Amino acid sequence: MSVTTPQIDSARIAEVAQPITEDGRGRETVFDVDDLAVSYSGNVALTDVTMDVRKNFVTAFIGPSGCGKSTFIRCFNRMNDLVPGAKVHGQVLYHGRDLYGSSVDPVEVRRRIGMVFQKPNPFPKSIYDNIAFGPRVLGMKQGLSDRVEQSLRQAALWDEVKDRLKDNALGLSGGQQQRLCIARAIAVEPDVILMDEPASALDPISTSRIEDLIHELKQEFTIVIVTHNMQQAARVADMTAFFSVDVREDGSGRHGILVEYAPTTKIFTNPADKRTEDYVTGRFG
Amino acid sequence: MARVEFQHSLDALEASLQEQGQVVLRAVRGAVNAMQTQDVELCDEVIAFDDEIDIRYHRIERSIEEILAQQSPVATDLRLVLAVLHNSIHLERIGDQSVTVAKLTKLSADLETRHDLVEGLTDMGDRAEEMVRIALDSFARRDIEQAQELVDLDELIDRTNRRVVDQVLQMAAAPGQQEWGMRMIVVARCIERIGDNAVDIGEQTAFLVTGEFTEFTDASH
Repeated sequence: MSVTTPQIDSARIAEVAQPITEDGRGRETVFDVDDLAVSYSGNVALTDVTMDVRKNFVTAFIGPSGCGKSTFIRCFNRMNDLVPGAKVHGQVLYHGRDLYGSSVDPVEVRRRIGMVFQKPNPFPKSIYDNIAFGPRVLGMKQGLSDRVEQSLRQAALWDEVKDRLKDNALGLSGGQQQRLCIARAIAVEPDVILMDEPASALDPISTSRIEDLIHELKQEFTIVIVTHNMQQAARVADMTAFFSVDVREDGSGRHGILVEYAPTTKIFTNPADKRTEDYVTGRFG
Repeated sequence: MARVEFQHSLDALEASLQEQGQVVLRAVRGAVNAMQTQDVELCDEVIAFDDEIDIRYHRIERSIEEILAQQSPVATDLRLVLAVLHNSIHLERIGDQSVTVAKLTKLSADLETRHDLVEGLTDMGDRAEEMVRIALDSFARRDIEQAQELVDLDELIDRTNRRVVDQVLQMAAAPGQQEWGMRMIVVARCIERIGDNAVDIGEQTAFLVTGEFTEFTDASH
């Protein structure tokens, strides 16, 4: 009896294989972005972005100032709708549905896709009310205290604040305030958490707490993070997208472009594009 | 060019590796010459010279430790640092093989030799030295094709090594030559290992350029 050896083209397999981790994250697509462009009052800020964001992955956006990474992350929860003159072209599918479709309610989008900003921005209210506010507004009133506790626990803040829930949130340290903002985002049971430079205003210890937290949270949520700190992207992200600035040949200005999107280890060990290489090794400029 | 200090430290690191390479080449040359001429004094020099190689290896290791701790190299920079570390270890091993050749030569200094065998071993040593030179050059030039040529050169050394073993086996019956023959089998083996180490350095050239590590030849076959 003859035995046929299967012909396996490993290069081809690597090409078509989905970037799934050993713990099974990354199987599904959450966002499918096709040929996206954003302009502000006719000025193009970002063009030609095509990529997908996978479920339970941490996806990092890195790149120099003005490369459009913050503009791009704001497309995921329609925050650009709030900027006068902002226009989004192309398509963003969220679980297969057009995020910018006419029947889509931006408020519901922002409940499911929460956001944490660079500067912690707690409400000038008690710690408890900061967390309870969102669920209350959305009518999620049952078991509210449990929800507050659960959210604070998930944000690794519970033990530090459990005895002073009635205190004003502005009395917390910067790092605690940022974790409070993460707890506040979690409290309304989102699907995705967007983080725009979440640790850039924090000291190294608070930063490492946030990074530990991101590793915990990815088990339950899909996380997209914009960061100026490349080592932070290297430490926390499964996938990394490098954006850069393209100067238009006709001299009419500059806009952001997506240069390379790949598993984080690839970006930091063997990037495919020279521009990525120059940026991550610090040889730009 | 940004990160000027960092680039300086990478350039200095690579220069130290090439310097270690030159020192190791002197050790190889010394060991082969000593074996060829049964020069005991030269053997002692080669043995003592190994400290020079070790000092350079440890210096490179310390520089790499500092670069990793202070500069967090990534991408090509990271691959360069890793490749230099590997190559420095390979060079240090080549130095050790040269010392073993020198020690065996010393031990057999008073024994009767066989001219044809010494010629074969010298030929192997010349080839091994040339391979180390090519390996270092391919790394400095980032030249994968040149690095891959090492595989063919290594095959020539392997072939000579097998011939030496056959010749020693034939000598088994000749009285008074067995001991020398047995020692020369180990000498041949050491030189053959130097060739392998040169191929290892060539593989690091390919890793540095492509980002993928592949063995040029699979030792299990």
